[in-house]
This record gives sequence, C-alpha cells and structure tokens, in this order.
Amino acid sequence: MKKTIIVETEKCLGCKTCELVCAVQHSNTKNLELAVFEQPTPVPRRKVEYINSVIISDGCHHCEEALCVSACMSAAMYKDVDGTTQHNEEKCVGCNMCIMVCPFGVIKRKGNVVVKCDLCKGRENGPACVESCPTKALKVSMQLQQIS
Amino acid sequence: MKRYVIIGTSAAGVSAAEVIRKLDKTAKIIMVSDENYPVYSRCLLSYYLANDIPEEKLKYRDEKFFDQNSIDPVLGKKVVKIEPQKKVVLLEDGSKIEYDTLLIATGARAKLENIPGKEKYGVFGLRTISDAKQINTRLNKTKTAVMLGGGLIGLKAAYAVHKRGTEVVVVVKSPHILSQIMDSEPAEIVQKHISQKGIQIQTNLAAVEILGSNQEVEGVKLENNTVIQCELIIVGKGVQPNIELVKDTEVKTNYGIVVNEYLQTSVDNIYAAGDVAESNDLISGNLTINALWPNAVIQGKIAGYNMVLGNTKKYDGTLAMNSVEFFGLPVITCGVTKQKDETIEVLVTKNENKPVYKKFFIKNGVLIGFVLIGDVEQAGVYNSLVRKKVDITKIKESLVSEKFDFAKILPLVNANKEKFFEPEYCEIV
Repeated sequence: MKKTIIVETEKCLGCKTCELVCAVQHSNTKNLELAVFEQPTPVPRRKVEYINSVIISDGCHHCEEALCVSACMSAAMYKDVDGTTQHNEEKCVGCNMCIMVCPFGVIKRKGNVVVKCDLCKGRENGPACVESCPTKALKVSMQLQQIS
Repeated sequence: MKRYVIIGTSAAGVSAAEVIRKLDKTAKIIMVSDENYPVYSRCLLSYYLANDIPEEKLKYRDEKFFDQNSIDPVLGKKVVKIEPQKKVVLLEDGSKIEYDTLLIATGARAKLENIPGKEKYGVFGLRTISDAKQINTRLNKTKTAVMLGGGLIGLKAAYAVHKRGTEVVVVVKSPHILSQIMDSEPAEIVQKHISQKGIQIQTNLAAVEILGSNQEVEGVKLENNTVIQCELIIVGKGVQPNIELVKDTEVKTNYGIVVNEYLQTSVDNIYAAGDVAESNDLISGNLTINALWPNAVIQGKIAGYNMVLGNTKKYDGTLAMNSVEFFGLPVITCGVTKQKDETIEVLVTKNENKPVYKKFFIKNGVLIGFVLIGDVEQAGVYNSLVRKKVDITKIKESLVSEKFDFAKILPLVNANKEKFFEPEYCEIV
C-alpha cells in the first residue's frame, strides 16, 4: 500500500492555503500569529507551482523507490512501516544529498537541517493541507504498491 | 540454505544485505569487514572531526543491525584473496569462508601520494573512523594543518580542522579548487567564500617533501621551495578501489572491478557494488567509478536483488554528483560540469552579491550536467532531467530562471511518459 497526496490540477486555484497551513502545522507554536515570529521561520513543505495556465500544489510523493532515502548518508531519511518516506531531523546533518536527487524538488532547508512533507504523521484529521484545501484539489490516496 | 557472503559493511554492503534478507528469509548471510566498528557512515567523518556531531551519530545502522537481520558478522578481519573455483574467500588470519554467491563491496581507500616523508606520523587520509580518531589525537599537538588537495575531501577536512581552531592551509596542484568537478568561474566563487572564512588556499603548487625529525611531521616543502611549518597533514587526493583480493583470479578488473548492468562481475556468482565497482557511466556509457554514497546504496540494492532472484534488475548506470556545503554556501554538481568541446552548449546565470551561480551543460538538446552554487533547492529536478535524457529545448529558457521548479518540466513529463514511468508522476492529475 502506498500513501500519498494527489493533486487535481483542474481544481487547484493556487490560493496557497496549503502552504500556509503546512507551515503553521509544522511550527513550534502551531499558531499562525505566533509562528511568524519563530526562528528559524516555519517552512511550508508544499509549494504552489505554475506553468502557463496549469497550477499545482506539490509536496513529497513518498516515492516507492525513494531516491532521497538511498542518497541519505546519515540515515535520517527512511521508509516507515506504512510505506511513507519520513525524516528524522535529529539525525540530519544538512548535507543536501536528498535535495540533490529529489525529482520533484520538494525537500526544503530549514536552518541546519532539511524538512519535507510527513503527511502530518499523528494528526488526527490527516494532513492539514488536505483538510483545509478550499476546492478539495488535494486528497490522500492509498494505492496498491507495484510488486518490484 | 543458500550462503551469501558480502565483503564490506558500508553503503553497498549494507543495502545489499537488507535486500537479500528481505527476499530470502532463511539464507545464511555473512558480512566481512577489516574494520572493527558497527556500521557507520564515512561521509560523516568530517562532521565528526569538526565536532558538529558526536561519535554516536556516525552510526548508519543501530548496533543490532546484524542481529535484526540474522547476519553473521566477521569484523576486524581483512579478506586477502578470493578463490572463485573453490567458492571460498581467504582471510588474513588463514581462515576460509565458503559462499554460493559473493558480493565484493570492499570500497576504496585514500590515495596517499608518493611523496618523500609520507610515512611520518601526522600524515593521514580521512576515510575511516580510525583516521578520524588519529587526526583527533594529533590535533592536540597541532597549530597548523596542511591539506594536500583542493577537492571535496581536502576542503571538508579543511573546514573541520578550521572549526577546531587550527590554522589551515590548503595546497592545491591545480589552478583552482574543486578542479575535478567544476571549471574556474564557479570554483573561484567557492574559493573566495572559503578564504573569507579564514582558510588559506595556495593554488598551482605541489608538495614535494614532508619534513620532520623523529618521524613526526614538522612541515611540508612545496615545489617553489617554500616550507609551511605544520604538525598535521591530511591528504585528499582521491581514492583508489580495493581490488587486490581478486588479483590473479578470473574476476575481470580495469581500474576497479568491472561489472555489467546487473552489477555482476565476469564470474557468474560474484557481484560487485559501490566504490570498488566499475560500471557504465549514465552519460558517457564508458566504464567509470563514481565513488559516491548514493550510487553505492543503489548498486548494493540492485546487486542484492540479482544475487537472489537471478539477473532481473538492471542498473541505469552510474552518475557523477556531489553535494557539499562550506560555511553556509551550498554547492551541488551533477553529470558533465565542464565544457569539453564546442558541441556542448553552456547556459549561465549568476548574482554575485548573494552569491548565486548556476551553470548548465546541454548536448544535442539534452541536459547532461550542471553546477549550482548558493541556491540548490531544485537540484533534484535538474538531476531528473539528466537521468531521463529528454530533449529540454522547449523549456530551455526556464532552466536558468530563478522560478524554476517541477511544474516547469511538466510539459516534458507529459510528452515523455515512457521515460517518466514512475507511479509518482501520475499523482498530478
């Protein structure tokens, strides 16, 4: 089973609500008004991107063959038992090897470590971006994994 | 019960062992290493030396790794020879280990230059945990350290030793630092940045003799006859693969151990992966060793699959790539990073104030390499274009744009579905 977030481009308006709620969800205070003063500044793990008239909100795809996991020399990036790709900031040394290989460019720097979408692990209502997307362009998907 | 023997407990060996165990729950797996430490990450040694991380964090797998995967470790013993006919490996203490299928993941070692005085105490590579610990000890007696070599190893070591409060001089034979992975213009940006932080860099100079009485390093003499007084010398002159164990056997070697697209050597039941394995380069197609952690992990995985299931998984080829950060300035390079001839088109964008510098190398419409300094966040997207070898002519303008991101390559993804076949590309609908 593979768990990830799917984006429907026809519904995405590029309103960046996902970016905002993601940054707040992953801040220390989890409160927008306070989070803006945190150092280092909270970083969204999703990014609204454009080409011509197409808009997408992109984040970690939790790849089956996760290149970031293979590239990570400190074993901070790993495959969790649920198939998601997770990152242990305690182990991260900020070498940027994961950034070097991520085909979607969705791993970000925050201070001395990298951060990425963790699918809001442990959050009762699932990923904050999916919950807050005004047009329901984002949804959590569970797919049967290819047998490799 | 099949017997798998893996020589080497670093990136390639570990990833192969994990795959083998996943695919075959009952097989006997034996891992042999001449190092007597738990599984650790060599690439972190410079961080450890800099005191950026404690020794504990060098671990790449926890101490129970061997137990958890039911692996028999044979540590602190060097394999001196393999005998493919008898299917045994010989250890230095005279003992033998039998195998059905063997993986050679012996890696590479620091190349120590053939320079008079190199045997004096105080000259080290930075390749093993033992090197790092010896350097640590020597640092107590060190006022000035000299790095021989201006490549990644030399500069990472220079950063570490500088952080420890030691005066550092980097002696570089080439006209500029990082000469293996970039040309002079980007290298000068990095060089300027590092110099401003207090690391001295002397280019166009080779060391000719290591000086010192009582077998201890006291200085190094350069080819212009100047002498730098120093107590510590770290040699960063690249690595050479550990292939001696297959000397005079049927296992074919070139510079390293030659493998095919299945990571299989010239002997059917012997595979090789990691820094010792010479495989086809993804861009040139030529036999190459790109001695890098990510390549070693992926090679180990693929070798592991093929060792258990027969040759079922193909390796795309090895790709040169590097990521490094010096005093807050990130640098990522990938593929071809020098304009070798006129058939290669070069695109550059820069902002000297930040500094940000990006250089792209295009051949026949295909991105074959790049150098990014200062802003590296989209490196992986560029990297995917190199790996997929698609015609980027349509999006050439946006390559150098500071707004470049994955969305900009969507037209290429949609037009080349056979190349962007991974399921993740279908998650944007």
